[in-house]
Amino acid sequence: MDITEYFSLVFSDYTLRTITLGTAILGAVTGMLGSFAVLRKQSLLGDAISHAALPGIAIAFLITGAKDSNTLLLGALVSGLIGTFWIRGIVKKTHLKSDTALGLILSLFFGFGMLLLTFIQKQPNANQAGLDKYLFGQAATLVESDVWLMAIVTGLCLFVLLLFWKEFKILLFDADYTKTLGFNTKIIDILITSFIVLAIVLGLQTVGVVLMSAMLLAPAAAARQWTNSLSTMVLLAAVFGAFSGVFGTAISASQTNLSTGPVIVLVASVFVFFSFVFSPSRGLLFKQIRVIKNRRDLELHKTLSFMYHIAETHDNISHPHAIKLLNNFQGYTKSTLQKLVEKDYVKLEGKMWRLTETGFNTAANLYTKQSTDDE
Amino acid sequence: MNSAQIEIQLIASLVAIACAIPGTFLVLRKMAMISDAISHSILPGIVIGFFITHNLNSPLLILFAAFTGIITVVLVEYIQKTGLVKEDTAIGLVFPALFSIGVILIAKNANDVHLDVDAVLLGELAFAPFDRLLISGVDVGPKALWIIGIILLITVTLLIAFFKELKISTFDAGLAASLGFSPAIIHYGLMSVASVTTVGAFDAVGAILVVALMIAPAATAYLLTTDLKRMLALAISFGVLSAISGYWFAHWLDASIAGSITTMLGLIFLLVYLFAPNKGIIAVMYREKQQRTEVSLLTFLLHLKNHNEFEERHVNHLREHINWQKVRAKTVLELATKNNMIIVENNIVSLTEKGDKFTSKAIDYIITNEDAQIEDMKDDFFLFRG
Repeated sequence: MDITEYFSLVFSDYTLRTITLGTAILGAVTGMLGSFAVLRKQSLLGDAISHAALPGIAIAFLITGAKDSNTLLLGALVSGLIGTFWIRGIVKKTHLKSDTALGLILSLFFGFGMLLLTFIQKQPNANQAGLDKYLFGQAATLVESDVWLMAIVTGLCLFVLLLFWKEFKILLFDADYTKTLGFNTKIIDILITSFIVLAIVLGLQTVGVVLMSAMLLAPAAAARQWTNSLSTMVLLAAVFGAFSGVFGTAISASQTNLSTGPVIVLVASVFVFFSFVFSPSRGLLFKQIRVIKNRRDLELHKTLSFMYHIAETHDNISHPHAIKLLNNFQGYTKSTLQKLVEKDYVKLEGKMWRLTETGFNTAANLYTKQSTDDE
Repeated sequence: MNSAQIEIQLIASLVAIACAIPGTFLVLRKMAMISDAISHSILPGIVIGFFITHNLNSPLLILFAAFTGIITVVLVEYIQKTGLVKEDTAIGLVFPALFSIGVILIAKNANDVHLDVDAVLLGELAFAPFDRLLISGVDVGPKALWIIGIILLITVTLLIAFFKELKISTFDAGLAASLGFSPAIIHYGLMSVASVTTVGAFDAVGAILVVALMIAPAATAYLLTTDLKRMLALAISFGVLSAISGYWFAHWLDASIAGSITTMLGLIFLLVYLFAPNKGIIAVMYREKQQRTEVSLLTFLLHLKNHNEFEERHVNHLREHINWQKVRAKTVLELATKNNMIIVENNIVSLTEKGDKFTSKAIDYIITNEDAQIEDMKDDFFLFRG
């Protein structure tokens, strides 16, 4: 199947429609919440939580003995939350730094989850097959009820976000000020963290443990480059996330043997790369262009000021001088001279140059401005 | 115990030691998450190495994988240096992308060979003794033992040779640079060791256990000591202890060895986290409570010093005016009486001579903020703790 065929089928084919909708919603909600994670410098929290959810899945299965996906997600949610708050406890109460706490909880919880999974596999209950789809994720297992669940969570999340927008925003940029204003920062904090955990848990089934953290980060990191406003960033991240979901699904459906999760992550990475390079105000390309332009301006001014110092010694400012004289000066090139002529600062006559009135005045201003700056 | 069991425990212990050494420095340098990133992003290196050599046992694979590990570090640093995102975001962007490339390469090209993502991520220590190293037909032991043994040997040699450099650059990068050690060389050296160790170990124990063995013992040791040598020794001991106890736990449960070693690491961390003498949660909470009482006591003494009126110094007034709960008021009163700071007569509290002197000193300190004043007060405070 090629891409065009995919797009013609996406509205009629049940499986394709479900998966596309699911990944799009997932991308939107993770992008939205990921913006907060990135701005709060909790980027790797997603990685830790998605690993920490595994023992919860295993324990939920051990208790109920059934593979109902909602029960398993509930288990994942509980153990993800325990992991998150333990990370917070470690950072707060000990001198271990947040990266150590994250890595610790991530690996320990995941290892414990693996122990439980292998223990379950040895049980005579034949029902356990497929638990490991939570490790790597399988978008193909999405059914309509999963999509509904995602949609409901996204709606809820959007509602809470709009309701407490002011609080979230102020907590993000000035936590101390928020406290002095009398807001209960703890509750706002717990609220946003819980939603981040919830979004991650929702994505486990689709893109899996390892790639979930990228889903949280990449759209937000891409969106950050285009704007300085929080609302625009959240909106853009949601759009980037949704598009990554749709394009990723389309590409993986159009090829055989291509799992959806990794493709979605790579599409999101392309968004990030594009944003890093081409964003107008922060992007690497335009930044480099600005650097080059500034350097040129500087060289031009340096040459002009050198000429000014020569012209200064004569009564007639437009007294011609040999071009050879300029060779003593390092910043001078043929093209800078040409530029100066274009700007009408300098006139060329054969092998001689002379400053014009405008050139002299500009250079004089340049000089006085510099010296007043120095004072 | 049969020979396979001994070999498994030996491999697990060597892996634990080989991981604990770079892990200690990663934790101290606040780069713990780099190990997680490396453990995932070596996947494409292994896959590409496999396409080139067509041999899963080739040592070239280790080189390729270690090289991908270094690329990860370089990429993270490059992205971070552009200033577009913070370091943690840079890590979070790089390794899932590389991991995805690895997964896709496997799915597209290597479906028919024994190279699946599960094996890379989870590893199976129980199979390690079956993969023997044959030198001209003679069985010289499991291959994993040789690989990790050699890596450990290199790590220990480097550790001893560059201990001073590592120590200085870890705690004071500026000093290290001014003394003429290149922080960049030490940084990349450490990253290379971490990368090679990850690759060498994950084959036997899986990527997640490598991360656990790097971070958990070092973090646990860091809660017990601030001395670098002691921290290294403790981290190694915790690693080996969990490796061996974890093996027997797995044996008893008939479950994944890597999983149960990690669980043991977690249990040890939990115990130390709760009960460590100075930095454990219980010690910290006790200390915080004591400090709260001491601050309350100081507030109370200052209040007494400022008021001569009887009604302001009545016991009940504590609850009304300073707004203390009954229990807290009682603790503070008892502590003050026990230290001869106050006397209570007919429910009227007054400062003793000692209390008066102490309070004057405290006011002096608060006004002048000179350290010389607080030295004597510290002695007085230690008296409170009895």
